[in-house]
Amino acid sequence: MTAEHYLKILPLLVAFGGVLAIVPLLVFLERKICALIQDRMGPNRVGLFGPDSPLEVLGIKTGEKRFLGGLLQPLADAIKLFSKEDIIPPHVEKYLFEFAPLFALLPPFLAFAVIPLGAPISLDGGKSVPVVIADLGVGLLWILSVASLSAYGVALGGWASNNKYALLGGIRATAQMISYEVGMGLVLLSVVMHYQSISLVNIVNTQVNGGVGGWGIFYQPLAFLLFVICAFAENNRLPFDMPECEAELVGGYHTEYSSMKFGMFFQGEYIAMLAMGALLATLFLGGWHFPKYHWVRENLGQLVALALSLISLGAKTMAFVIFSMWVRWTLPRFRYDQLMGLGWKVIIPLALLNIVVTAALNIR
Amino acid sequence: MAGGHGHEAHAAVSSSASAIPVGAFLAPGDPELTWVEKLYLPEIAKGMANTFSHLFKKTFTIDYDGTQRDDPRKFHVPSAGYRGEHYLKKDEQGQVKCVACFMCAAACPAECIHIEATAVPPECSDRERMPARFEIDMLRCIYCGMCEEACPVDAIALGPTYNMVSGTREAKVYDRDKLLQSGEELGLSLSKHQYRPDGIPGHVPEPKAH
Repeated sequence: MTAEHYLKILPLLVAFGGVLAIVPLLVFLERKICALIQDRMGPNRVGLFGPDSPLEVLGIKTGEKRFLGGLLQPLADAIKLFSKEDIIPPHVEKYLFEFAPLFALLPPFLAFAVIPLGAPISLDGGKSVPVVIADLGVGLLWILSVASLSAYGVALGGWASNNKYALLGGIRATAQMISYEVGMGLVLLSVVMHYQSISLVNIVNTQVNGGVGGWGIFYQPLAFLLFVICAFAENNRLPFDMPECEAELVGGYHTEYSSMKFGMFFQGEYIAMLAMGALLATLFLGGWHFPKYHWVRENLGQLVALALSLISLGAKTMAFVIFSMWVRWTLPRFRYDQLMGLGWKVIIPLALLNIVVTAALNIR
Repeated sequence: MAGGHGHEAHAAVSSSASAIPVGAFLAPGDPELTWVEKLYLPEIAKGMANTFSHLFKKTFTIDYDGTQRDDPRKFHVPSAGYRGEHYLKKDEQGQVKCVACFMCAAACPAECIHIEATAVPPECSDRERMPARFEIDMLRCIYCGMCEEACPVDAIALGPTYNMVSGTREAKVYDRDKLLQSGEELGLSLSKHQYRPDGIPGHVPEPKAH
């Protein structure tokens, strides 16, 4: 195996391993942030240290003081989800019912395939290899098409459940995703006009060459704002979580799901958040770029630069995820017609306006 | 989006059933939104700032089964009138104070107290009967405290024990010895009626001469 082969495996490990490892922590983080915003404590029992520690089963003394409590809560949740009875109600469309969670889980994973994860590595032959799973020339199109696929998971889950609430949730999800995909596509059009490329590797390289001042957010602030709103709608997060909408639809499309199939929908939501955050960072916040990148690369070596760039992208992604949790516990849910009104009557005209302005500014 | 008042909105609803105009749910007299408020974003920022400030506020929840017994926010200390699990009291000779009069069993709305009476040993001259069997089914008990109020000799009381977990149903049926023992453990076996006859919590009345 040459160094180039290893460079093919590295982004795979980072993307899939990192995402799978971080999703349970996100669930914990969401519960904790929710609790703190509501002046509660949140999960604080299941930890490694302190009186309730599972280590005590093995006879290890863990002390009187509880420390980092709740950090093992995701593990406990996972054990619970796996050990619960997996109910398949008799009235469901069995095969689609089984496949729908898979459709919810896979597309957000696929989005990571084209996102450049770290600084490129120069090999001995002078060849520079970007740290990305697939260096597609049409990366942005790939993301858009994969993002549309995730509507299938929700719609199929709702339809296969053969339950009116689940079906309503699925229909809402489909309508919402299609509406906001139009807006998002138009927003991304102006972004593409700015970067003159739809390859995410090229987009990041353009921003890196411009330094921190070259980040997309400084050239496309309106597109950034609109993209964030569309991202919330695409991810079905509050204030746009119409498909779930506990107050009206029981649980929406996952009403009939139990055990780990429910867990897969749940995980899919968080992975979609991560993917959206990584895409947001790539388009508007310089991707893996961090201040003083060129200095670090020349003075400390390219491996240090690679490590720092991985951390940089991770931090930007997490910032978006934490921001969306913060929004979730702040804003109430939109009414359905307001949601559609916002999508068609506000976001799309503004995105079109943004395209016109970008086009006018780009005339040379 | 055209802004409309409540009374104008009704006409619009009847003309097209599908579109609900902005302001249709405003009551007459509600202030109209200014254009800054209609932008939503400044208001959202205000709300976000509000929730952000809550991240650092002290929590209302008490970590009640915590670890530090001296810190009331880490370890729940029940108030004076708390109605937790029962205990039975003893007299100065160390014998069960209960005279098996069945008043508590009669007063109990959940019918969870079961008593079997027996004659007292001859050296005990101030009463006639004592309980041979005294059982409280804690799973049926509703912790109303009626037994404590009904007791004429102040023999049963509800203690401060709130941590009432057990692995089996049988373990939650407390017999006489268990009830006496929990009184000992709480150090309340010889205590007087603490907060009732006059209804003031925490007030210790003067002992009355019989």
